[in-house]
Amino acid sequence: MPERDDVAVAQAPDAAAASADPQEGPAFDFRPETYKDAALVGRLQRRIAELADEIGRPTKLMHICGTHEHEIGRYALRDLLPGSVEVLAGPGCPVCVCDNEYINMAIQLSLTPGVILASFGDMLAVPGSIPLKGERRGDVRMSLLDARAQGGDVRAVYSVFDAAKLARENPDREVVFFSVGFETTVVAVAAMLKRGAPENLTVIEANYYTPPATAILPQLDGFDIEGFILPGHAATITGLRVYEHLNDHGIACAAGGFEPVDVLASVASLLEQIRDGEPIVANPYQRLVKYDGNERAKQELDEVFELAPIRWRGIAEIPESGYKLREAYRSYSAALRFADRLDEAELAGAEHPKGCRCAEVTLGQIRPDECGVFGKLCTPDAPYGPCMVSHEGTCRAWYVYGMHKEKLHVETA
Amino acid sequence: MSKPPEGAATAARSEATSRYDTVRLAHGSGGKLSLELIEELFVAVFANEPLRELTDAAIVANPGGRIAFATDSHTVTPTFFPGGDIGRLAVAGTVNDLAVMGARPAYLTAAFLLEEGYDMDELERVVRSMKATADEAGIAIVAGDTKVLQRGKGDGLFVNTAGIGFVPDGLTMGLDQIRPGDKVLVNGTLGDHGIAVMSRREGLELGVELESDVAPLNGLIERVLDVAPGVRFMRDVTRGGLAAVANEVVHRRAFGLRVFDVAVPIHDIVEQYSEMLGIDPLLAANEGKVMMIVPPDQTEAALGAMKAHPLGREAAVIGDIVKKPEGVALIETAYGSRRMLEMPIEEQLPRIC
Repeated sequence: MPERDDVAVAQAPDAAAASADPQEGPAFDFRPETYKDAALVGRLQRRIAELADEIGRPTKLMHICGTHEHEIGRYALRDLLPGSVEVLAGPGCPVCVCDNEYINMAIQLSLTPGVILASFGDMLAVPGSIPLKGERRGDVRMSLLDARAQGGDVRAVYSVFDAAKLARENPDREVVFFSVGFETTVVAVAAMLKRGAPENLTVIEANYYTPPATAILPQLDGFDIEGFILPGHAATITGLRVYEHLNDHGIACAAGGFEPVDVLASVASLLEQIRDGEPIVANPYQRLVKYDGNERAKQELDEVFELAPIRWRGIAEIPESGYKLREAYRSYSAALRFADRLDEAELAGAEHPKGCRCAEVTLGQIRPDECGVFGKLCTPDAPYGPCMVSHEGTCRAWYVYGMHKEKLHVETA
Repeated sequence: MSKPPEGAATAARSEATSRYDTVRLAHGSGGKLSLELIEELFVAVFANEPLRELTDAAIVANPGGRIAFATDSHTVTPTFFPGGDIGRLAVAGTVNDLAVMGARPAYLTAAFLLEEGYDMDELERVVRSMKATADEAGIAIVAGDTKVLQRGKGDGLFVNTAGIGFVPDGLTMGLDQIRPGDKVLVNGTLGDHGIAVMSRREGLELGVELESDVAPLNGLIERVLDVAPGVRFMRDVTRGGLAAVANEVVHRRAFGLRVFDVAVPIHDIVEQYSEMLGIDPLLAANEGKVMMIVPPDQTEAALGAMKAHPLGREAAVIGDIVKKPEGVALIETAYGSRRMLEMPIEEQLPRIC
């Protein structure tokens, strides 16, 4: 590791409190080699312990991005927090919040003659609500992989641009892009449609906008989260102003990056706000997130999409939390183009299979290992509910990284 | 079958390729074209006595003692990738399977499943690569088989190799030899093959050329066993990466395996690429890496022997065997936090965001 200015780095965590301009956040200036730096992580860890002592009571924080859960698991960051500070996973996995209706629609369309269904790999194994016939494990629902096994033409793509390429290469077929995701995904769809997409391409509009979902969380019974680690990736588009409403509920906020130092810096920032009783929207992820977001991206998004109500799987229909195509782009809507081919009755089925508690996991109401099927009927190689499927899914991260085990206590020879 | 005079086979072969640019069904029919292909390509390139006889089976010398016997089938897209090709992979794969058992690999067989229309020059490149790798490993390819599949019924080229090696007397390696306190060693950077092949397949430019690590490891392993005869166990780290091997070692055992994150050698490019695409290099494939579990008093000798070998310059002690937790492979991070190193579940694919 190259030499770095140790003094400047050492001051970084404290800068959160000293920042003159809270809207532009504290003066964090981590160079790339420091994002994983063990010494800096150690200092942040001690700072967090001090703050927890000063607060003097149990404190619950929540992140709302699947990648946060993944990175917290990968670096076992919960091991580094004092017992009184708990970080829960909220509704941050696009695969997990994607409503049944869209999965069922994708399955139906993939089995429609002439259609190529293009989807992110993460979505392929997620069960919708159409029962899988002849399955012995119990109440198991069909996924796109099952549709493929039944003859559906399902392709895994990395982006909407791959789907457009597929459409150009197959002019005699209809290509349906299963557009699942948050702001970061939908902005690419907007950019592509705005620049002219092939006629034979349509999209399933399963696009979610995060801030309104955070607004309903404080209204839930027993809600006791005191601070949110805001989703760093999505915030590069939306900015942070859209989360200010959380301060009105007394909830602290800090934009969270994804490296160990980023995550711990946002935890430290939240604890400082909680200790001081002065919730703000802090930005310890300044190297990527601007307070007002990316103006050009927001403008393109607004040109192509409008906000509309959308169902979050197992949670509720939340107003203004989904991106739907505007009138000028409606011809790219798969739901519209294939309206006469869809079986409406089959689209809206039960939200989760029997015994699956993904909804409560997604809301941070229970830990994955409190679900009766976790690790038994529901494992990553045979997922029962959506949270076990995606790499962004809380249950999967817990399973893969062993977060469900008692702290991995080592005894040497 | 009479033995062709020295040098004649090579001259005749170039005549054969000039007749056929691609593989035909008749090349696998057992008739005249089959014989041409066998004599003018395989026999000429692999060049050894048992093969030249073109008998139904190769008869080879046996120095006595126990025999190790292994087989491996190979398919890879693309056929040629940075640092290697399917031929090198097929030879090194079986050689390594034998060598990690402590055997001295000696003889291989090679079976080719060719798709009709396969490019004859490409086939020759693969065969020459197999020969070069066999020479590097000091083994001979003494028998073979060729079948041609109708166009559309095969993915270009499949290669199977089987091999035998001789196990020195007194060697007692095995999972039951492992004790808490033993050290875990690897002979170099992990994930190179998986990332090199994936980058080529996905058409991703890494900026710097990353090469697969595919190589026969029997030479390196012999050097280590010379100076550290008490090696408890070794296994080549291939598909599924270190995660797969570590979990195979601890499965249902009364000990755990701990890997220190910061001690694992990872190529800079592999690290960056993995970060970018959300892939774990510890789950990525290798084709020239071995994991050894060595008693503490022989660790230094084993590590020294690895580092002295060209295929082990970046060797490292990456972890140890612990009493508890039992049956678990775990990672200890630079921060002292711990997580499980889970068995790979599916093929590694880039994530949504």
